[in-house]
Amino acid sequence: MLTQIKGGHVVDPAQSRDEIGDVWFEGGYFVAPPPHAQPDDIVDAAGLIVMAGAIDIHSHIAGGNTNTARLMMPPSHRAYVQRPAATPLANMGWSSGEVGRLYAQMGFTTVVEPAVAPHHALHAHLELADTPMIDKAILAILGNDDFVLSLLRAKASPAELRDHVAWTLQTTMALGIKVINAGGVAAFKENIRSFSLDDIVPSYGVSSRQIVQSLQRAVHELGVPHPLHVHCNNLGLPGGVATVLATIEAAQGLPLHLAHVQFYAYGQEGAQNFSSAAQHIAQAVNDNANITVDVGQVMFGQTITVSSDVPRQFASRAQANPKKFMIFDGDANGGGVIPFNYRAKNFHNAVQFAAGLELFLLIEDPARVFFTTDHPNGAPFTAYPDLFALLMSRDLRAQWLERLPAEALTLTTLGSLKREYTLPEIAMMTRAAPAKLLGLSDRGRLSRGAKADVALYRPSKDLAQMFRTAARVYKDGKLVMRDGVATQGHFGRALHLAPVVDASVRKRMNRYYDERYGMPSDFMQVSGEILPSPQPFEAVPCNG
Amino acid sequence: MASLKSQSNAWIDGRAVSLEAATVGAAELLLASRQPLIAGLGADSDGVRAAIGLAQRLGGIIDHSHSDWLLRDLDCWREGGAMMTTPNEAKIRADVLLLVGDGLTQAWPELVVKLLKTSIRQADSDSARQIIWLSRNADDKIAGFDGALEIVACGAGAEFAASLAALRARAKGAKISTPNSVWDVIALRLRSAKFGVAIWAAGDHDALCLEMLNGLVRDLNETTRFSALPLAPPENGAGALAACGWLTGAPMRTGFGAGELWHDPWRYDAERVARSGESDCALWISAFGGPAPAWGAGVKFIALDDGATPFAAAPQVRIRVGQPGLHHAGVLHSAQSGTLIGVGAPQPNDAPSVAQAIGAILAQIDRRGARPC
Repeated sequence: MLTQIKGGHVVDPAQSRDEIGDVWFEGGYFVAPPPHAQPDDIVDAAGLIVMAGAIDIHSHIAGGNTNTARLMMPPSHRAYVQRPAATPLANMGWSSGEVGRLYAQMGFTTVVEPAVAPHHALHAHLELADTPMIDKAILAILGNDDFVLSLLRAKASPAELRDHVAWTLQTTMALGIKVINAGGVAAFKENIRSFSLDDIVPSYGVSSRQIVQSLQRAVHELGVPHPLHVHCNNLGLPGGVATVLATIEAAQGLPLHLAHVQFYAYGQEGAQNFSSAAQHIAQAVNDNANITVDVGQVMFGQTITVSSDVPRQFASRAQANPKKFMIFDGDANGGGVIPFNYRAKNFHNAVQFAAGLELFLLIEDPARVFFTTDHPNGAPFTAYPDLFALLMSRDLRAQWLERLPAEALTLTTLGSLKREYTLPEIAMMTRAAPAKLLGLSDRGRLSRGAKADVALYRPSKDLAQMFRTAARVYKDGKLVMRDGVATQGHFGRALHLAPVVDASVRKRMNRYYDERYGMPSDFMQVSGEILPSPQPFEAVPCNG
Repeated sequence: MASLKSQSNAWIDGRAVSLEAATVGAAELLLASRQPLIAGLGADSDGVRAAIGLAQRLGGIIDHSHSDWLLRDLDCWREGGAMMTTPNEAKIRADVLLLVGDGLTQAWPELVVKLLKTSIRQADSDSARQIIWLSRNADDKIAGFDGALEIVACGAGAEFAASLAALRARAKGAKISTPNSVWDVIALRLRSAKFGVAIWAAGDHDALCLEMLNGLVRDLNETTRFSALPLAPPENGAGALAACGWLTGAPMRTGFGAGELWHDPWRYDAERVARSGESDCALWISAFGGPAPAWGAGVKFIALDDGATPFAAAPQVRIRVGQPGLHHAGVLHSAQSGTLIGVGAPQPNDAPSVAQAIGAILAQIDRRGARPC
């Protein structure tokens, strides 16, 4: 069926389009405007904004730790279950079904779960297979696992590490690799409670820096489109900015993605030794074209933090609100789940909120800064519409700043920042740039050959409202949402790389698992036959 | 006739019928019920998904045969704090294993071979593994294990709970009424562990004992590393809990009757619901040969079981289902990896899976035009 989205305000930075015009698609893909063909369906988009489906590169929507968070909150209490919209966590999107629906409602069509322990990959894919409407992908975690640490200790060749990265991607059906507090989680099992870039992992004799650099190189040389996705050491600490700056320097010009950098953008100024240091990170990103970051914006309200940075979460347990926690010493990274309530009147939370917005506004290239809240760590993903509105309106920011403690405002530059994101900049950050960062050449744009993932927004003075509920959302050319109501039960696919893995590598891994754990590594293998959906996967090519 | 019966996969009131007739019978019973109980829930991930779908469709209730066990462990971290690890980490790293109470080898039959008889494998560790067992009696034995084991008799019931309290107190450095007791010795060992792991089966303990154990682990982490390995119950309980989490956002003991799901461990306890008459019809699921529920007589009873369950009275409808990992492939929680894993079908048979049986029942419900709640 040939469809014409007619007369909308088309915002497609991938083609430098920002104009009133048409978009055509057929068979699930965009097509060039056919010279004489009559469309089977004409969608009158007059007065609407037309963008490609949005892509979230970092949102914890599936897997063991996220599921632990579901089971931890809400407790068995009627008020938490039949909850009015204004109740904390009301829009958290707890079940897999709700995750897909709420994302699609906002015009999102692809979401990446960025932290899956390889042993839990099947679990994560089971959840994703039950997540409707959107395409999805996982990043597999390496860098605190015995195999990688042992390779580095033995000074194994780069080829051996590449083989292991390829095997991990293939076994877990992942789109990329993430490292979380490299070495710090392994060290915590030996009771080391603080860990920085040049600290040495006990028993292995390798530094965090070596782990990050080795994995970065392996990912790059293997042709994985998405650069190594790094969760640095020292998250959440005053002075954490130094760790991010050191990690950027350690990247040595090769591509590197730093996750949720807001959680490191802290200096030690002011009476409470806690201040925003966002401008230093922004400057470093502006100066280093090989670096991309996502923000991990804090928005106020109840949430729950979910992280595979076990020592960080262990240290945070005292701040749990409500007071409960789960710390999981996993086979490699494990995780920690801790409820948290960010309050506008709280000095530290206010500095965090401001530091995140500073990063967005001070990093010049919207193609290298991504809009995450690190769902659910800074806020649920349902807070994105409010975040976009804050980026687009200086007046709105001024209103929010009035709620913050005066002391916090003196320790950030946010009040002085005049920049307002334009619609093309929002589209760059949410569509074109994430597609490029993940190596997904078939999306993030409205031009021929891309998947017909489209969101139509109804302009509103209330910018957040505009992004909260798209007028229409198409996934693969199918209308899946209309004014927030699901129109059909479409299921997307899981995107993954399919690097060639030599049989000898498989054999070696089975032997290693047999020796160390008493079971062959096959138990981790994710395959389409085990999953409920008839066609759950779609391969993405590696570079070159 | 006996051989015919043995080949049958479906019965109504004890008489062999076609699978289709059984699904029609089940659909009619379920449709006639205003609040059907979908209980047992002993199934693989697909089966649990199907059961939840059925309960949502009919405004029913889901519960698992081992919810008491699962929720007692869960309550420790959804109401407090807990630290857990994996069987693998316990195996390669733990220099102290603290076994607590009974039921351990029943919960994990390979405990002895896969953990107790292994030695530490972590790179630079130079310590030997100590195994301490807080047992009921001094002469208790762990079947199949003759290695070094320090048994501390803790008594039963309140005495066991008091023993745990004394141990936790001494581990934290608090005084107890008996100076120089065995708890001083054990507490010192726990505090001296580099990475200790406490192992229990919640089916054997009450809520306060479990809270005491989790508190002990939390306290020990103030100075050293210690974690817990709560063992999972039978009937794929941990797998069912996980699936309930991602499919509903809540654990089992959840009702869908109000149009929205509502989790309440007391209200949706299958036994309470059946005995109180709040439900008049149950679909009981056990693909793993678990015992029949004691409460089945009071409700119209549909069973999806392995065909060998000794029911006190013949279920109104009964369908023999295959066992995942034996008769058909599927996804189950693995006690050894502590994760969900794919399992194969070494002995395939013609019995439907739980998901297939429920799918066939749902198709009959659809045919009868029942509208979703």
